[in-house]
Amino acid sequence: MPGDVGAGSGGDVQTGGVQKAALAEIDASCRVPVLFFFLSGLGWLIAGSLLAIVASIKLHSPGFLGAWEWLGFANVRTAHLNTVIYGFASQVSVGVSLWLMCRLCRIPLPAPGLVTVANLFYNLGVTVGVVGILRGDSTAIEWLEMPRYATPILFVSYALIAVWTIVTFRLRAERHLYVSQWYLLAAVLWFPWLYGTAQVMLLLEPVRGVVQAAVNWWFAHNVLGLWFTPIGLASIYYFIPKVIGRPIHSYYLSVLGFWSLALFYNWNGMHHLVGGPLPAWMITISIVASVMMLIPVITVAINHHFTMLGHFGKMRQSPTLRFIVFGAVSYTLASLQGVASALRSVSEVTHFTHHTIAHAHLGMYAFFTMVMFGAMYYILPRITQREWPSNGLISLHFWGVALGIVLYVVPMSLMGFLQGTKLNDPTIRFLDVVQFTLPWLKLRTVAGLLLVVGHVAFVGNVAWLLVRMFEPYRKPVVRILTGEAETLAAGK
Amino acid sequence: MSYGPLLFLGILLTLASSWVGLVLMPHRQLGSLTQHTDTNTAAIFPAARAGEAQQGAEHYRSLGCVYCHTQQVRPEGYGSDLERGWGRRRTVSRDYIHDRTVMLGTMRTGPDLTNIGERQSDAAWHYRHLYNPQITSPGSIMPPHAFLFETRAIGPSGRSTNALVLEGAFAPPAGTEVVPTRRAEQLVAYLRSLKSSGDLPEAPVKKEEAK
Amino acid sequence: MPVISFILLGSVVLLPAVALWALRWATAAGQFRCPDKAALLPFDESEPVGVETDLILGGNRR
Repeated sequence: MPGDVGAGSGGDVQTGGVQKAALAEIDASCRVPVLFFFLSGLGWLIAGSLLAIVASIKLHSPGFLGAWEWLGFANVRTAHLNTVIYGFASQVSVGVSLWLMCRLCRIPLPAPGLVTVANLFYNLGVTVGVVGILRGDSTAIEWLEMPRYATPILFVSYALIAVWTIVTFRLRAERHLYVSQWYLLAAVLWFPWLYGTAQVMLLLEPVRGVVQAAVNWWFAHNVLGLWFTPIGLASIYYFIPKVIGRPIHSYYLSVLGFWSLALFYNWNGMHHLVGGPLPAWMITISIVASVMMLIPVITVAINHHFTMLGHFGKMRQSPTLRFIVFGAVSYTLASLQGVASALRSVSEVTHFTHHTIAHAHLGMYAFFTMVMFGAMYYILPRITQREWPSNGLISLHFWGVALGIVLYVVPMSLMGFLQGTKLNDPTIRFLDVVQFTLPWLKLRTVAGLLLVVGHVAFVGNVAWLLVRMFEPYRKPVVRILTGEAETLAAGK
Repeated sequence: MSYGPLLFLGILLTLASSWVGLVLMPHRQLGSLTQHTDTNTAAIFPAARAGEAQQGAEHYRSLGCVYCHTQQVRPEGYGSDLERGWGRRRTVSRDYIHDRTVMLGTMRTGPDLTNIGERQSDAAWHYRHLYNPQITSPGSIMPPHAFLFETRAIGPSGRSTNALVLEGAFAPPAGTEVVPTRRAEQLVAYLRSLKSSGDLPEAPVKKEEAK
Repeated sequence: MPVISFILLGSVVLLPAVALWALRWATAAGQFRCPDKAALLPFDESEPVGVETDLILGGNRR
């Protein structure tokens, strides 16, 4: 409705007298802390992408860089995973989360010093962890490979972010919570506990036998389901309405989606171990919970689709919207693929194959990373108070990574399924199955190179944006910043 | 929406309960599994690992072998693990009680290794395979592990007894030999110790029909 | 393994306790009232409903 100001001004809840800050003021207060997290995240993205290319090449050309032990496939693959998950994805998550919390709580970023300390700890932890992996100290526990002298450093950082989030929540000027804040609070509070427990039970005081596998996959799957997914969904729920200027289709559905996700997602972990040496009841529960995930996934898909209906054309004009919608659609696809893969009959074929790797990238990249790119395209101009310097680089970024990830995920999913079918036929020699996978693995390297091109284009544009930040503000041809933000920027 | 708070409560309690179900309960159920003694043969399964093999397990971990090899055999009729000879029976929880780091693995870029000690007990094969997998398995994509070996000049007393027998393109330069380092010896001892075929009450080996 | 048991049992008590506290807080703070108004939270006077933001490429410059 025209002139509608948003919930919370009705006065049925004590406001505590805290004045809601202007959006431009909030953005300005976020500049340094959010930039620290974004820039360090992007640095790790470049490193992680290059490690990915090396790992991909090694799989089809095993002699590549084969003389150096520290560059062995297992090390490079593990270093890739840890740099992109902890170095890039988690840091960008924190940056987006900081800004979203401030925007939705309507206050300037409190305690920036605390956040900066968290960032320094974070980068220290990742550096020590990745170097440790390359030195041969990897724990060989998937998603928790950083040695035990590195992980506590990261834990401190996550704990500081959790504390900051609670502080911001307590100081908020807008009393009512939007769905994004539910997701962010859940993610930021759940993850340190998850990370700490996994470290204790697997690294510091290891549990005995296959309980390790149970804890491992309870942990790893919840990193996806209760750290990254909520932050990704929180972002989609905010940015789609913000860009198109319309509220989410059904708030009730969004709340239902959140609680059903929280209810079911964290029981999924054992679907990584179907057919494995664990009690059948555990695996069955996880399969059931995986199927139940259809509830939140379909709920979210309906909500996003009906919100976007009639506005898909705007994707041509908003880089944020195109990345976010790509990510939202991928979320649905990745989840459907995940539900299917959990079923015993499907797992019998796809377990232990490249299908699983394709699925991981559909979720972590086509969904999560694309949403993060979209979020950064919205946030960076507003916190630096500058426009994007190059539309060409925006297009190169989008098309590079969109084509790259489709070229990765679709062939690899198909190949993995065929690989599994062949593996289940004992008359086919194992080495013949390996030979079959080779051309597809080479195609994956090509896809990876496209992703690298996109990343370099984005980082280039960001670097250019930073240069602009130090220059006096020049009124550009295309304007993102309007009103107060433009006045603020012009004043610099 | 007065049922909202109840919904909230139910969901949050279930959030905590998943952790009880997937972490606490398995720990109670499986954490106290012990070895089983076969009443007929007095053999103990799973057998504890000798010192060298235990060291080898550490090298297996630090080299990251788990990223391409699994150590879990799926049940009969599910996949073709048994038909491929990867074990005489499926693996169960009790098979892993001696493992400091349980390395079930999630990818079969290479074959499952649960039973590799039975399938391939020849140490010389393992050394050649690790040195350069193309020697024993042409077309393999396993990376070469030449850094686990030492190429050195042949001493005055002739070739060492443990020198690898390498031919053609794989042979080292004339006058030199390739010998395994301690790490390679321990790793191979570990691989040769990987045998998981004993009868357990929860997973008996299927007896073959008498021919 | 007393440390493990301590963590496990402690968490079983702690998590539901936090959940119950959060529930009590949410109800008292009126978070479950007016769900439709909550959908409008991303908007305010400077960027109200009906106004697009961030259409920076292509024809419709704003």
